[in-house]
Amino acid sequence: MKQMMIVAGMALCIACGSARRMPEGDMQGARENASLENGRHQYMKYCQKCHPMGEEGLGPALNNKPTPGFVEKFQVRHGLGAMPAFKKDVISKKDLGDLIKYLHTRKKAKRLS
Amino acid sequence: MRNYSMLLQLLLVIVLTACYSSRRSKGGGQTNVPAIRETSPADIVLPEGYTAEVVASGLNFPTAVCFNDEGVPYVIEAGYSYGEVFTVPRLLKIVNGETQEVMKGNENGPWTGIAWHKGNFYIAEGGQKEGGKILKVTPEGKQTVLVDGLPGNGDHHLNGPVVMNDHIYFGTGSVTNSGVVGPDNADFGWLHRFPRLHDIPCQDITLAGVNYEAADALNKKGGAQTVTGAYLPFDSASTEGMVIKGKLPCSGAILRVPLQGKELQLVAWGLRNPYGLAESPDGKLYVTENGPDVRGSRPIWGTGDVLWEINEGSWYGWPDFMEGKPVALFKRPGGAKPQKVLQTQPGEVPKPVATLAVHSSSNGIDFSTSETFGWKGEAFIAQFGDMAPGVGKVLSPVGFRVVRVNVNSGSVEDFMSNRGKKTGPASWLGTKGLERPVSVQFDPSGKSLYVVDFGILQMTGDGQSKPVKNTGVLWKITKKSSL
Repeated sequence: MKQMMIVAGMALCIACGSARRMPEGDMQGARENASLENGRHQYMKYCQKCHPMGEEGLGPALNNKPTPGFVEKFQVRHGLGAMPAFKKDVISKKDLGDLIKYLHTRKKAKRLS
Repeated sequence: MRNYSMLLQLLLVIVLTACYSSRRSKGGGQTNVPAIRETSPADIVLPEGYTAEVVASGLNFPTAVCFNDEGVPYVIEAGYSYGEVFTVPRLLKIVNGETQEVMKGNENGPWTGIAWHKGNFYIAEGGQKEGGKILKVTPEGKQTVLVDGLPGNGDHHLNGPVVMNDHIYFGTGSVTNSGVVGPDNADFGWLHRFPRLHDIPCQDITLAGVNYEAADALNKKGGAQTVTGAYLPFDSASTEGMVIKGKLPCSGAILRVPLQGKELQLVAWGLRNPYGLAESPDGKLYVTENGPDVRGSRPIWGTGDVLWEINEGSWYGWPDFMEGKPVALFKRPGGAKPQKVLQTQPGEVPKPVATLAVHSSSNGIDFSTSETFGWKGEAFIAQFGDMAPGVGKVLSPVGFRVVRVNVNSGSVEDFMSNRGKKTGPASWLGTKGLERPVSVQFDPSGKSLYVVDFGILQMTGDGQSKPVKNTGVLWKITKKSSL
């Protein structure tokens, strides 16, 4: 029962939490960190067009998903539904680590509603 | 075991929320139109320190703004909108929020862009009925046609212009979505007017002989299927090894003419709809390209709009490469892989500067040149917003904002959009903010960014466009400290 409530809570978060984030300012920290800056670069190269600014677009929103990093990595490597898989020859292990780090930083940025 | 079960349930939640096929399209145009368009800068979100104000409203399909030497803004009204709505294209002077008509054009819109250079205006006339033209207009409204007979009667029009190196550079949009004339072009309206129209390559190309069957959109075959090849008129089949002669003017290209007109020159080709042209502070030409749609005989899925740096003589890949990648990668879910239509590739395809959101309709572009405004050297791009479901399905409105792009890193960041839990046009959100930003232009000081908002364009469930007249707005963005 407790498990079901936790999952229902997560589903509620996914359905209701805003994926929008304030422009600029909040991401300044990322620019000072080489790993995050590389993550941003990878995001822009592979993710941005379907998840613009981490929001819903052609694909679902990312900013408001409480998904753990290892699940996100699995999804990037294997694809899901309409999303293609990005293997190691496309996104290296290090680049994927940086990308997930960037994504999580973006999730924590100030919400816009 | 318990953790494993939790993980499975979490994955199930993700799968359910991520499932593309089972979800309905929720594009920004899929909304009810408000009785009156009201505006409120408070409904717009900008980076901290910036402020928005309304300069003019009630404009009829405005598409671009420019400034004379004194910094007075002039706006053009398109005279045509998707949805086959023809009005009168106009050049308007904006004085204290009021419009003064400088000149009227003919029923050959849409006017898509304007530049001011050494005492004259240069206007790109889209050419929906008579073909594209470049007009030279004096401040008193006297016009001269510098070039005519340019592509513009099809899906996409004549775009630009930008003045560089004593030449007028402009873009010619492709006639079709992805090289093949089909029933979708009849839906646009133009195939009935020009049943023999098709794309024209800038140089000789050799076809692979790939053909597409489609319904008889012109009702000339008693309901029998039609067969059409790339770069050919509707219901004309191609054969393997068939050579299509290249010529100027061509579609899907960047062309230029000297300021006096005369000789037409090829700059670059292999583009789909090169809409926004701008010169960067270091003298390079950048172009926004609208990516293909999931429509017609050769639907292409999942391609973003693109920002290119234009290198003279280069071929940019359309219709066999999108975003610099082979078209086979852009298969719609459950559909077949798109095939190449060219037997031989005319050149190496460059890499894009930045890839922008799928269906965002990334249009007008300008560069910041001011330390005062900020982000000096970055490109600002107006995203008109999706036209779903006509262009394909989206899960939420895409575009409807102004983004800034670092042309060195390809990083795309939000600059101007509406407040709300989701991005979207004001009519979709029920607010008084932005509708459809179509172009951006810094004033001569570089301290203020003007954003041209086309106004409301609704999309019906069957993908038809329903633009609303006189709902356009001119916005001005300034950094508070520079006021």
